[in-house]
Amino acid sequence: MSASSPSSALAGAGRVRRDRFPGRPDFWGLLLLAPALLLLFGLFGVPAVYSVIGALAGKQGAPSLEHVRMAIGVYGKDILFTAWLVCLSVAVTAALAVLIAGYLTLGSNRLAVRILGWLYRWPLFVPMICAAQMMRSFLAKNGLLNNGLVATGLLTPAGSISLLDWRGVLITFVWKQLPFVTLLLAGAMASLDRSMIEAARDLGAGRLRVLVGIVLPLVRGPLLVGCVLTFVTLMSVLSVPMMLTADTPTMITVDMAYRINTFADYGTADALGLISYVMTMLVGWIYLRDAARQRGLSR
Amino acid sequence: MRKSTILAFAALALPGALFAASARADTVLDVATAGDQNMVDYINQYLGPKFEQAHPGVHVRAIGTGPGDPGSLAIEQKLMAEKKSGAHDWDIDVAVIHQRGAAQMVTEDLLAKYRGEVSTGKLVTSQKAVNALGTNVEGYVMPMFDSQVAIAYNPEIVKNPPRSFAELAEWVKQHPKQFGYNGIKGGMAGIGFVMGWVNANAGLGDRLNAGPYEEADKGKIDAALASLKEFNKNATLTPGNAGTLDMLGRGEISMGAVWADMFYGWQADGRLSPDLKLVLPSPGLPGQPMYYAIPAQAAHQALAREFIELATSPEVQAEGIVKRFNWYPGIDAQYVQAKLDTKTWDHLFVDITPQDLKQNAKPFPISPYFTTILNEYERVVTQ
Repeated sequence: MSASSPSSALAGAGRVRRDRFPGRPDFWGLLLLAPALLLLFGLFGVPAVYSVIGALAGKQGAPSLEHVRMAIGVYGKDILFTAWLVCLSVAVTAALAVLIAGYLTLGSNRLAVRILGWLYRWPLFVPMICAAQMMRSFLAKNGLLNNGLVATGLLTPAGSISLLDWRGVLITFVWKQLPFVTLLLAGAMASLDRSMIEAARDLGAGRLRVLVGIVLPLVRGPLLVGCVLTFVTLMSVLSVPMMLTADTPTMITVDMAYRINTFADYGTADALGLISYVMTMLVGWIYLRDAARQRGLSR
Repeated sequence: MRKSTILAFAALALPGALFAASARADTVLDVATAGDQNMVDYINQYLGPKFEQAHPGVHVRAIGTGPGDPGSLAIEQKLMAEKKSGAHDWDIDVAVIHQRGAAQMVTEDLLAKYRGEVSTGKLVTSQKAVNALGTNVEGYVMPMFDSQVAIAYNPEIVKNPPRSFAELAEWVKQHPKQFGYNGIKGGMAGIGFVMGWVNANAGLGDRLNAGPYEEADKGKIDAALASLKEFNKNATLTPGNAGTLDMLGRGEISMGAVWADMFYGWQADGRLSPDLKLVLPSPGLPGQPMYYAIPAQAAHQALAREFIELATSPEVQAEGIVKRFNWYPGIDAQYVQAKLDTKTWDHLFVDITPQDLKQNAKPFPISPYFTTILNEYERVVTQ
């Protein structure tokens, strides 16, 4: 084999890459990273540690589970409700994102694909609090949605109901997060080798079959990333449950704000924060385990 | 002159003009106010400009810290942090706070005793200037205004509004989901309703408002809250003080617990039908003043006193507090009534008469009962 053959060129490129990134940490590289790391440490690491300490310390400062007991005892239903509502929001978002990204990839009507591709990104640019304010008048009993349905004859005034409860929160969460997950998925789907899709279509597979059987397994990674990031984002939203519903149970972010604002009770708020960390860590662990398994399979 | 040259001059001149404008206002009086947006509006739109007019070179900067007691707590935390840091001059010159916040801040030595040094101090006769939820605050505060939680209703649907909590409970059974209040996490109107319910149903009498606190009363409070849980099954929980008014305005509920001043303000702005009315059922609902206070180490103490002097003058109380913002006056009513026409004065007392206020306007419970009721509400009603 000559020195200029493709395989030896590839091996040479590999050597060059290894030389450029030696095992010893590069000073300038670390310097470049330092501001981001310092910010991460100062704005997330330190408060997170204090929050854990606050949750696990009693009134006298000695280790104690009293705040955790209080959080679970008084806000147990809210904790379960938060987990349920966020998981449901993630599931609905993921399902709709798969359908939209699937149509963007497999749709045959070019005009419809272009319109959908233009439309779906819009909520991405609306802040969460503005979305909540919009939904507050949109989903009310005599709000825009019901009035529109009544005007078109699809609903009678007596049959209209307010969606300003957990359903309103769910709708807002899905509306707000859908473009983000769709963007990730549509990008991943667009970069797939289309020959497999076309081969399946040539063999008579319908679009839905191609989406579920071929495309979806190939974009499993980005979908999982989108779901994990959506879960983490939604776990931290305060404005939406606060502005849309006063119903109980409610999300634990509302409880945290209430304990701090009304009682200056940082201990219970910290304990609720700790529970929130545990829930997001659990989801993160599921993702990492799956990613590791995928890497194992690909090797 | 070429267009680009003009633009370049303009670009240079603008920051200069802005700098000159800010340099002229060499003193900034920071007024931190708890409460809803109307509190910030009052300072920005009415009181601030009036004070600046009388004090050239002074700029009044209003900072809203949020509705309800949490807004006052935010001010308390800021002042406490400055005290602990050993700062000589504190950032806030005038604080506008609720009773609970005032009681806490007086106990923590965060406020200056100034009422005796303000000429309008002697115009204040209300007991609320002396006692805030069981804590002696005499000298540290001046009431800015008084407001009252009441029940707003649509007289087209509610022909005979309930005159007592028992009548209200009966009405709610017959008209499910037509009464709304905003729970305890969305503002003080909802908290006021809960306190009124406990006052009506726990049988604690004056002890709730005057003390002493007795731990054994928890059982009676729990029983009252258990009946509120039943009541809630037929009530609508609304998202916030404004949420109740929104739902009333859209016709989604026919009755709701609201702040009287917000109600009148929304009617004046055209956001609420002028046909809606207020009622104050017996044995009463709580109301509370907002206080003007000066932090112990405020940077501009003398200017702060002058600001409060203006704010509590009969002219400002008549024009700003009663006429423009529909609040009950903070100083003795006789000094204010003399400055207003009969129509304006009467408008404030059409639905809720002075007699109603005398009989059914209650203070909020003293701090230990207040905290117990909120905690027990979460335990008994919501979980």
